[in-house]
Amino acid sequence: MTRRTFLKGAGIALLVPRMESFGQVTEADMPRRLLTIVNHLSFYQPELIPPTDGAFDKSPQLLNELSDQFDHLKLFSGLDNPAVQNGFGHTPCVGILSGYFNKLHRRNRLSIDQAIADKIGDNTRFKSLVFQAGENLNFSQISWDKHGLPVRQLDSPRKIFNLLFQVNEGDTTQQQILAEDRSILDAVLSQANAMEKRLNVTDRAKLDEYLTSVREVERSVKRRAYWANRPKPQIDYEIDDFDRKSVDDYVGTLLDLAVLALQTDSTRAVTVQIPFWEGFKEPELSGNYHDLSHHGQKPEKIRKLLMLEQGILRRINHALNTMKQRKVGNTTLFDQTTTLLTASMGSANAHNFDDLPALVVDARMKTSGYWRKQDVPMSNLYLGLLKLFAPEYEHFGESTGAFEVLS
Amino acid sequence: MTPATVPANDPQLEHFFASNCVNCHGPEEQNGDVRLDLSFNNLTNDLELLDKITGVLEAGEMPPKGETQPDGKSIAEVIQTLQKHLAAIQPANPLKRLTRFEYTHTIHDLFDIEFDFSGLLPPDHVENGFDKFGEAHLMSPHQITAYLNTARFIAQRVLPDHEPKTRVWEFDAQHFHGSKNFATGGGGDYRDGDDYVLTGFRPYRSNLHWSIDSQKHDQFVIPEFGVYRLEVAAHSVDSNQGEVIGINLGDGRHPTSFRLIKRIALANGSKGFSIELTLRAGDQLAFTFDSARVPGRSLANKPHTGPAMHFSKVKVTGPLIDQWPTVAMERLLPNSDMKPGELVDHITLLLTKRPMSSEDRRGFVEIARKQLKSGASMKATARSVLTAVLTSPHFIYKAESPELTNVEHAYRLSYFLWNSVPDETLLESAMSGDLAKDPAIQVERMLLDPRMERFVDDFTRQWLQLDKVDDFGPDVRVFKDVRRMTVDSMAREGQEFFRHVLENDLSLKNFIDSDFVMANDRLARFYKLPPVDGDDFVPVKLPADSERGGLVAQAGFLKLTSTDFATSPIHRGAWILKNLYNERIEPPADVLINEPDIRGTKTIREAILKHQQLESCARCHSRIDPLGFALEYYDPVGRKRSEYRHVTEIVPEDAQTTFTKKIKFTSSPIDAAMTLANGHEVRDMVSLKAALMADQELILKGIIRKLISYAHGRELTRADRKHVDDIYKTIAPGEYSLREAIHAIVAHEAFGRR
Repeated sequence: MTRRTFLKGAGIALLVPRMESFGQVTEADMPRRLLTIVNHLSFYQPELIPPTDGAFDKSPQLLNELSDQFDHLKLFSGLDNPAVQNGFGHTPCVGILSGYFNKLHRRNRLSIDQAIADKIGDNTRFKSLVFQAGENLNFSQISWDKHGLPVRQLDSPRKIFNLLFQVNEGDTTQQQILAEDRSILDAVLSQANAMEKRLNVTDRAKLDEYLTSVREVERSVKRRAYWANRPKPQIDYEIDDFDRKSVDDYVGTLLDLAVLALQTDSTRAVTVQIPFWEGFKEPELSGNYHDLSHHGQKPEKIRKLLMLEQGILRRINHALNTMKQRKVGNTTLFDQTTTLLTASMGSANAHNFDDLPALVVDARMKTSGYWRKQDVPMSNLYLGLLKLFAPEYEHFGESTGAFEVLS
Repeated sequence: MTPATVPANDPQLEHFFASNCVNCHGPEEQNGDVRLDLSFNNLTNDLELLDKITGVLEAGEMPPKGETQPDGKSIAEVIQTLQKHLAAIQPANPLKRLTRFEYTHTIHDLFDIEFDFSGLLPPDHVENGFDKFGEAHLMSPHQITAYLNTARFIAQRVLPDHEPKTRVWEFDAQHFHGSKNFATGGGGDYRDGDDYVLTGFRPYRSNLHWSIDSQKHDQFVIPEFGVYRLEVAAHSVDSNQGEVIGINLGDGRHPTSFRLIKRIALANGSKGFSIELTLRAGDQLAFTFDSARVPGRSLANKPHTGPAMHFSKVKVTGPLIDQWPTVAMERLLPNSDMKPGELVDHITLLLTKRPMSSEDRRGFVEIARKQLKSGASMKATARSVLTAVLTSPHFIYKAESPELTNVEHAYRLSYFLWNSVPDETLLESAMSGDLAKDPAIQVERMLLDPRMERFVDDFTRQWLQLDKVDDFGPDVRVFKDVRRMTVDSMAREGQEFFRHVLENDLSLKNFIDSDFVMANDRLARFYKLPPVDGDDFVPVKLPADSERGGLVAQAGFLKLTSTDFATSPIHRGAWILKNLYNERIEPPADVLINEPDIRGTKTIREAILKHQQLESCARCHSRIDPLGFALEYYDPVGRKRSEYRHVTEIVPEDAQTTFTKKIKFTSSPIDAAMTLANGHEVRDMVSLKAALMADQELILKGIIRKLISYAHGRELTRADRKHVDDIYKTIAPGEYSLREAIHAIVAHEAFGRR
């Protein structure tokens, strides 16, 4: 596979905004960031998981793609999500980051990326950004807010790019809309306050939800207005219009955009979902990713699948290396960022939602290597990650303990 | 909840609980998370708990069999006391907001635009019943943002600055595209002279879309919001029946996110269709051949045989302007020179049907004043005010006083039967007091109005879970002759049946059993009934030996309670208890449920009988299982069967993918007989319906409770027993007519209370 677009923004200065208008104390010099990558269709585990626990002595071909990160990488296998209901096609994949899925409930539980974004997202233009590679299917929602509601997942690289670097909220119409939003929210808030006085206890609780929500939207409108008056980061990056979308195009472009979003401090939490429905441009790889992943143990299909998965991991490795080159003072973007890579399925061929692999990359890690787990909740890893950002947490989802991520 | 006027304690209850219940529901054990040694006040204020205790005592479920039983007299006395307390507690009816369907219909009626706004608003949560319950209505920043954005979207559409210009686009086969460029492979479509042909039903295998430039694959895009007319020349070949075309929104080149917005039934021999749709700027249209017999495959090696759909011309005209200024513009801006306060009062009254207090309107008047002062046009100012009013709690919430005011009364009625705002006639009737005195005239008028369809759709969708009929399968390898449009017809049957019963003043008893079904061409074929012509549903009289009739014999119900290979007697039984008996059954709080994987197992009966032996499960499952088991002679898609056909997926050495695995069938006999809690044995459809008929009063009251809770927007409790009994008695002389039930619910004094 040939690399189509390289990240060209090597020389950009990091734009670290001052947040004086929010009255918040500037964080320690080094903000912490989170990059979450989910591969819906998983990886072919026989070529990802080493034969033995411990240091990466003999790594299989897929894992080998990440050899640049071996000093800062922990790999786990055999994790599961006991509260994810199985069956129903691909739908349980919506529960990967929450550790929860129930077919009867439209709402889900808070996902780990959003739990962490809630802690680190106050000072940036976007609390978090979630990229959804490929078209939005009803089973591709993986990011859920604290109300259990779906977080908007952006599915077009062009839209993401425009949102980050092109849309000028400083122009008059945008300014007018933001100002109008503020007056409207102000007015309806006082109406709700007046209304509340006339209501009984139960209704007051209902209207309180409205009041709280309006106040929270007011804050986010203020945040947008604040950023509207500030210049957008200037970057030297071009997005190709790809007519015939391919997995490779998507992964490469979205990871580029993820790095740019973190680098420009537009946000501190980015979530990327690897596409699963698209095809490939390469003539030797006919068919689509979904079809190959359900390989039925056919050697020919597995061979093609591995080519594709190697391509994906190469892109991820490249993104991590790029972050190492991005200097911030005397550290790098890589030093600031914890990266989680996991999969919604154990094996797309078996169509199971347990036996999940997970990889964590963090520059502060003391011991790297592979840990074989069995029937251990994925939430234990999530809690371990959450504690890096918010040590006060004792539970996440179905957690029964917390992994030591940095030890 | 209003605290009831109850004595500080009740020695009779305390004594009863202490001697009969506290062993398992006390300090030592709290089976089912229930504790009955608490202070009297704690108990009597817990409506749900009292309700539950009364229920299990009445049904003789507690104390469990095998334990010492209290004597009948003291049980009867305790039940009576409990009921007294229950009746004294006024059930809460928390503040309700518009559901997204109510929102859509409201906007439609206010501004005369037919557009589905439900895609712009977050889905409504359903808990124990209907999405109309205030209890389940959430508000979140996400929701508020959606309201604000939708409000602005509406304001910009209904008050445009310029009159749009109607344009015409004509496309023929040279502009048409199928799957030739699909990343996903695709196949099954081809050009045939002046026609473009679709052969498969899967949109992501092939669909028809078109581009302006015949040399390019850039799909035609709707340029601006408005009503567009599509005139399509299309005909089927090699088919002797009606066929169905789907109209989808989405990028036809990457169709995985298609949204089906309409199905067009073409009668056999039809040459095409014409339809008007409200579309947004950026919308892309594509057609699918939904009634195709095959999913669609590459035709490179083997040509297609069987029905195919030929398209030859597509003409798009729009945006269509009926009149200018539009109805919405005339309603919102009756004259072009309005003072800020005047404008706010006018739009508020139009949207909420009541004036706003001077305190409440201040902020909005300020918005209008600032806008006008800055030189904005009257129209732009009205847009801002409209956006504000649509975001206001006065519009979003349906506030109700303890005794409903005239306007609130009209609101409750119109959101019950129309899912929308009251019209002028209804409001006038409310204001004059006529509605409160005798609502029959208004109710009858409303039931004859086309807006009544919304109630039929929305109520049956939620009551019967008709939107879940198409959730699974059917697996094409197992159910070779059950096609997607048959499943579609199954999902429509329940709704058509309800409408027929309502329109023809028929009895609620038809929901238990009926001597007719509603069927269209496909469903009549599926049920092996005399042929019906066309896609529309008509009543079909059942032959004497048919087991169909009633809700439990509808294929839609039988299918939605099954998985792709196997039936699920538990789901079927639970569905009957929940939806016919209106029972609230849920897994007990202290038991972790692991549903057994019953796919293809031979021991389904054993698996199910096993949990009846566990005491914690038996209380509910002894009631659920026999009801579901009696239906085992009906397979996962609702066809009669005489034996189980178990499906095993064969894993050959060189295994296929999940979806192409070979399957093997084995059969085994069905043993469906089981004894109900009341001692009646049920063994098949006929005996099940007889058992349900024997419970006629319970079931009819269950359905009445469903209707009342939908109308009032809250769950009913035992405190509503008298209310339900009143309705039941009122409609008894008219053979329990559904139409009369609706009249009686609205005429009941409780309808005028919160």
